[in-house]
Amino acid sequence: MALRDSFQARDRFDWPLFICAALIAVIGIVNLYSATSVATSAARSELYLNQVYWFVAGGILAVIVASVDYRHIERFGYILYAVGIVLLVLVFILGKDIRGSTRWINIGAFAFQPSEFMKLFLIVALAKYLHGDPKAEGRTLRDLLAPAGLTLLPVLLVLRQPDLGTALILSLIFVSIMGLTRIQWKTALLIGVSLLISVPLAWSYVLKDYQRARITSFLNPEEDIQGAGWHAHHARIAIGNGGLFGQGYMKGTQNQYLFLPDQHTDFPFPVFAEDWGFAGSLVLIGLYAFLVLWSVRVASQSRDRFGAVVAVGVGALVFWHAFFNLGMVVGILPVVGVTLPLFSYGGSSVITILIGMGLLMNVSLRRHSGTLLHAGELRLRGP
Amino acid sequence: MSSLVSRPDTAEFRKRPRWLALVVILGFLTIVVRLFYLQVIQADENQALARENIIRRVTLATTRGVIRDAYGRVLAASRPSYNVYCVPSKLDMKQVWPRLANDLNLPADEREKTEKRIKDLQNGPRKDWQILVKEDISRDAVAVLETHIAELPGIDVVPFPVRYYPNKDLVGQALGFMAEIDGDTLMRLRTLGYVEGDRRGVAGIERGWESYLRGTRGWQKVVVDARGRRHPDEESQKLIDDPKRRDPVPGRDLRLSLDLDLQKALAKSMRGHLGGAGVVVEVRSGRILAMYSKPSYDPNELSGGNGVEAVRAAFRRLQQDPLMPLLDKTMSGAYPPGSTFKPFSALAALGESLVDPNKRVNCRGFYQFGNRVFKCTHVHGPVDMHEAIVRSCNVYFYQLGEAIGMDRLAKIGLEFGFGQKTGLGTNPEAAGRMPTRAWYAQHYRQFRQGFTLNAAIGQGATTVTPLQLALAYAALANDGTLYEPQIVRAVETADGTVVQEFAPRVRRRVNVQLPDIVRVRRALWGVVNEEKGTVYHNHPPELDVAGKTGTAQVSHRAARNAADETSTWYFNRDHAWFVGYAPSRSPEIAVVVLIEHGGFGGVKAAPVVFDVIRAYERLKAERAGAAAPAASAPKGTR
Repeated sequence: MALRDSFQARDRFDWPLFICAALIAVIGIVNLYSATSVATSAARSELYLNQVYWFVAGGILAVIVASVDYRHIERFGYILYAVGIVLLVLVFILGKDIRGSTRWINIGAFAFQPSEFMKLFLIVALAKYLHGDPKAEGRTLRDLLAPAGLTLLPVLLVLRQPDLGTALILSLIFVSIMGLTRIQWKTALLIGVSLLISVPLAWSYVLKDYQRARITSFLNPEEDIQGAGWHAHHARIAIGNGGLFGQGYMKGTQNQYLFLPDQHTDFPFPVFAEDWGFAGSLVLIGLYAFLVLWSVRVASQSRDRFGAVVAVGVGALVFWHAFFNLGMVVGILPVVGVTLPLFSYGGSSVITILIGMGLLMNVSLRRHSGTLLHAGELRLRGP
Repeated sequence: MSSLVSRPDTAEFRKRPRWLALVVILGFLTIVVRLFYLQVIQADENQALARENIIRRVTLATTRGVIRDAYGRVLAASRPSYNVYCVPSKLDMKQVWPRLANDLNLPADEREKTEKRIKDLQNGPRKDWQILVKEDISRDAVAVLETHIAELPGIDVVPFPVRYYPNKDLVGQALGFMAEIDGDTLMRLRTLGYVEGDRRGVAGIERGWESYLRGTRGWQKVVVDARGRRHPDEESQKLIDDPKRRDPVPGRDLRLSLDLDLQKALAKSMRGHLGGAGVVVEVRSGRILAMYSKPSYDPNELSGGNGVEAVRAAFRRLQQDPLMPLLDKTMSGAYPPGSTFKPFSALAALGESLVDPNKRVNCRGFYQFGNRVFKCTHVHGPVDMHEAIVRSCNVYFYQLGEAIGMDRLAKIGLEFGFGQKTGLGTNPEAAGRMPTRAWYAQHYRQFRQGFTLNAAIGQGATTVTPLQLALAYAALANDGTLYEPQIVRAVETADGTVVQEFAPRVRRRVNVQLPDIVRVRRALWGVVNEEKGTVYHNHPPELDVAGKTGTAQVSHRAARNAADETSTWYFNRDHAWFVGYAPSRSPEIAVVVLIEHGGFGGVKAAPVVFDVIRAYERLKAERAGAAAPAASAPKGTR
């Protein structure tokens, strides 16, 4: 069954999706080379090679994920979710402490961040739930309880680590997916108001001091340039230093003279913007915009609810990552540690996004296959 | 999208993708707008900031000018010294510190003290601040530390120029010394380019000629990274914008009129005395050939080479010394001139034709004036003006003073430069005092004629500085030209090129008739060379000298206790003066020597003057002999 589907799929291979993702990945590695070229240790200056390995590994996983008809993935939706939750709990038991937070699990020589994969598991779980819960009328608060619960559990676990960025992305994936559904306007209003109220509460009780410092420093980075404002301040200068056409590849002085800490993880974009200028930035952002909009298109064309939700979920994953990362480096959003998809260095991040791409490709491949999962539903073929 | 429309289960999602797409587009658009602002509109500002980040100006030190004597011998120069600094937070107390302490040869107590200080700082908020470990370390220690500096994290060896005076206390007060600039002064002088930690001359020539000596700092732009490391590679250098560098301008060298040999002779001949001053000026130019204030100080001790503590200790010692070594007695101290003023009293009388110089006055050893008795040194019998000067008869001058009045004495004194600063501009100068009737009326309720009698013999409120007296006698010796004193002959660059040469400057032609001066000079010759002269028996016959002794009474102090008795006895003794010029027929130099609390001028001060003049003659002969074969050696010996 799966075999036949993948045969069918081949002639409908989603080239735009593949080319767009591949372009971002290639630019990302080239940029990573520039970003780490100034590193003092040899291990660090060879990071781009590691990144290539991650891409190879992630690419293989993506091919596997894309090949299996997503109906099978749907079938294991909640199990995958449960695995994700268990891994998040394991982090507290096995995890190692890096810079004050526990996010990593070591398996042999490898370390990975379960919170990254949780993003995918959440998408799949929400998709499975919504797939089985079609509504003709607008959804009420009651209808939202179950998906909200599915989201809240990993969000709370991630906040314990603490990892503000991932908690934010998980929440925004939920919001985006619910944005796909029809919600009663009263309910929407209620949620909006309660969110407004919860912001100051979260500020006082949920956030840690350093997290608050990061956020306030975004409002006025020049106040504490040596401390919390350093990243934001110098990232902004680096971007501006790029000008219209950039300083040239590997010539950005802010990066070359080490004014951009974490330039390979959270701050690869300032390196890129400094090297390539506004013109280069426009191309890169164009690629991201295309990728996200393409996923929305895939969602709107998908053959069933599960596919649509998965496509929107993956699109949201890419969008919110890109938006928050770019927003923080250009200084319109506070500095929360969020990676730039396919651009930032990091195995877990790269593999997560590539598997997401695999899922998206999977949905895209089968949007016209017309095979419906549940009997009794209207059979329809695409044009 | 058509597929969704017609399917009931996905109907819920029908209109949503458009809105999602809108959110996505708006989101990315916001980023793009912001990027446009940063990269296009604000590009220039940000590029400037980026350049500021990596380009630092480092100052390039300048060198202070060298001070040389008239024959090119170095009196003050700079030598490099090295200070050791450490950053407590970066210093490893187990590995690095013992090694450093060994290399520096720190004595046990100092080592312990410093170790405690560093440990205290390591636990405090200032652990990242650099502190001074040791100043002016030895050359050997520098060599050891510089070779191993890579293995000593947190340690810095910083070169630091220190002023060096090879002749120690020989030219002390005249040269002055250097001190680190303090906060208040820095506020005033920041516009002149001084910065924290700078040293400037605060006394003597170092102070007066600071602006010539100090030079101008330069700077150079270097590329640094966020950690402060320099990047001297070629690629980095290309990033530096113009101007890339401003060279430092070294300070100007000074060529003094001082003759180190004569200075040595002066100091040597004052060896037997506790305190005093001596000045030698060139009669026909006002140039100072030697000036010595005793006790002197060693400017090396005060200029900071051995560390702050050593400087403080030296200052404390000098300030507590009752002989006041910090005072430049040649120009900052004013003393009653005593009988050395008599020639000027005589000139005052001659100029107004109020006294017949040949008329004799009978000296009975005292002079009764009203109900007061004014004493003389001896019973001189009948003396005319010539003899009164030669034998230093007070009674003659009491009557002379009575005849001409206070203000005529003051007028002639002012004419010869007393009561006014000479304008040498090195040390703070005392103006001295030429009192008038008005001055006495103001300070003593009313003027009494008795004051005039004392003023005529250089006592009372009249005070002069040794430098003033030397210049006034030079004016007598050169037929009446009062010169401005000069100690710096020329300003030179480091390679010896003369930038500016100072010609002698006449202050005024004194308003005195030449025959009167000649008459007084004849008397001054008599002081030394006539049998009745006050120094006839002390004078070396081979020298052709004219001059005048002075024995100035000092205001009395009472002993406060028994232990104080010896010092009270000393401080109550008279000051001994001798002023002379030589050779008497065509004078070249005028010499003033003041021996504080020395007693009789003829006994204590005159021999010193004779020694100096003898040394001058010897040096002149030697140089004439040496210069003859070498024709003209313009730079002297360097």
